Amino acid sequence: MLEFFRHPTVRRVAQLGAGVIFLAAALPKIADLEAFAVSIHNFHMDPVVPMALTNVLAVTIPWIELVAGLALLANVRPRAGAVVYTALMALFTVAVIAALARGLSFDCGCFGKSGAANLGAQKLLENLGMLALGVVASLERRG
Amino acid sequence: MDRWWSDGTERGGVLWGGVIAIVATGALLGVFQNALVRTGDKDDGLAWKYEPPKLQTLEEIQAQAAAAGAGSAPTPAPVAADPNDPLGIPVGVSDIPDVGRPIEITVTKARELVDAKGAAIIDAREPADYAAGHIPGAVNLPFDEVITDPARLEAFDPQGKPILVYCGGVTCELSMKLGHELVRLGKKRVLVYTGGWPEWNDMKFPVETGAPGQGA
Repeated sequence: MLEFFRHPTVRRVAQLGAGVIFLAAALPKIADLEAFAVSIHNFHMDPVVPMALTNVLAVTIPWIELVAGLALLANVRPRAGAVVYTALMALFTVAVIAALARGLSFDCGCFGKSGAANLGAQKLLENLGMLALGVVASLERRG
Repeated sequence: MDRWWSDGTERGGVLWGGVIAIVATGALLGVFQNALVRTGDKDDGLAWKYEPPKLQTLEEIQAQAAAAGAGSAPTPAPVAADPNDPLGIPVGVSDIPDVGRPIEITVTKARELVDAKGAAIIDAREPADYAAGHIPGAVNLPFDEVITDPARLEAFDPQGKPILVYCGGVTCELSMKLGHELVRLGKKRVLVYTGGWPEWNDMKFPVETGAPGQGA
């Protein structure tokens, strides 16, 4: 099983998929920073992330997504790109779980403000799938 | 691995160096972009430090009015609390001024207005959330729909009562925005119940379910 995921083609496909996902996530957010900032406020992570800091996150996260996405697509430092992708995706997933656990319901703005559905079990499953993709994309290349 | 453009064989320190490089490049680009748009012709960047939007509370406005009107107008006598009410909510809801902007109210005042049917209530959440449970008497005007369709808001007739807006957030920024929009459209005495549905539901206050009463 692990050998299948270690296959260079499988890993490369996972990297391309992760790259496309991050580009699709980054571009609408960069175009409308304010909408993304509102989405971050909506998560209400005040105890962990001070509200005053959320705008800085809104400014930087989309561009980090963009750079990591480009690295994955262009096959330039793809493993580093995949690790960044996986770490961010893990962070997002924790944020979604924390929000769901507190009964918050809102448009997460994950892919910008595109009339996305509110947070729910489906969003969580999506995130877990995208997280798994990142893990496969991060596997070490042999030789 | 000694080429900077490694195609996937990087590991250890080189891998983490790449990770740090990606994060730093992205963060710098973001800071740069925001710095540029903030000083550009049309300033649509973000403030570096986020300040939550804030409304004046009913108590603050009443205190101001009392201070300003001391001597000229007698302050109304406080209304006795209803001994049967566990929250000790005073009966009487006519003490809401029109100040030309939305006013923040607490759960106590919201309960008082709902019990006395003293306000026209707007639930700004999505229809599915509304159907699953809402404050009794509330009309569903989903924020996303009405903010692009002011005619629906304008057609909302509070029948002379104050308008109480709430939504599902914790600080409830949507209901604040909706409150401002209602005032802009000429509605009087707009109240924003910032605790919103989560607080109301936590207090085990009466709720209604189902999807009737779609707003005009």
